[in-house]
Amino acid sequence: MSKNLKLKSARAAKDMSQKDIADEVGVTRQTINAIESGDYNPTINLCIAICKVLGKTLNDIFWEDEGNE
Amino acid sequence: MNKKGLDEMQIQTRNKIGNQTFLMLLYLLMIDAGLYGFGFRWVDYPANVMLIITICAGIYVIRLIKANAYVGPSTEKEKPLLKILLTALVAVVVATGTIVLLKTANFSDANQINDMSAPIMFIAASVGIVIAVVTIVINRIQNKDDRE
Repeated sequence: MSKNLKLKSARAAKDMSQKDIADEVGVTRQTINAIESGDYNPTINLCIAICKVLGKTLNDIFWEDEGNE
Repeated sequence: MNKKGLDEMQIQTRNKIGNQTFLMLLYLLMIDAGLYGFGFRWVDYPANVMLIITICAGIYVIRLIKANAYVGPSTEKEKPLLKILLTALVAVVVATGTIVLLKTANFSDANQINDMSAPIMFIAASVGIVIAVVTIVINRIQNKDDRE
């Protein structure tokens, strides 16, 4: 799986650390780290929770276009 | 999201490790039974099963901690020192109570106690200490290396 750079950049844009998002969403920091590095495929519920925290849509964060797959 | 238990990735990891450890336990017990059938006894009966179970349980816990699937994303501040002291106190009370009960009970005396119980307890305690040390080392390594 490829790295989720969109999540990382959205997080950086909000000036949040992995720990901040993890606390907001209710998961461990390692889980957010695994999602960003492409080691873990989150459920739709977790995706939605992350998007709500970051103020983005699912498409913004988790949709992979052809050039980014 | 549930903040008390494990998160979804931790649950997946725990299930995977649990399945693998269960299969390992099954195969080890079968190998042990097979060796026993061929007449090879590496340790006498109660100790061999206890040893295999203890080793598998130890491996399970170590792998869980290594994979960060042992403690969930709890936001509560815990007091480990108090917990450790209470646990140690309870352990001492239970051990003392057990010894007193065994010595005063009519159903057993020193000659009737199985000789293998002492080595089993010794091995279990040794494995517990090894697990505790490995846990501390793993936690330190994770805290040092696993930053963003």
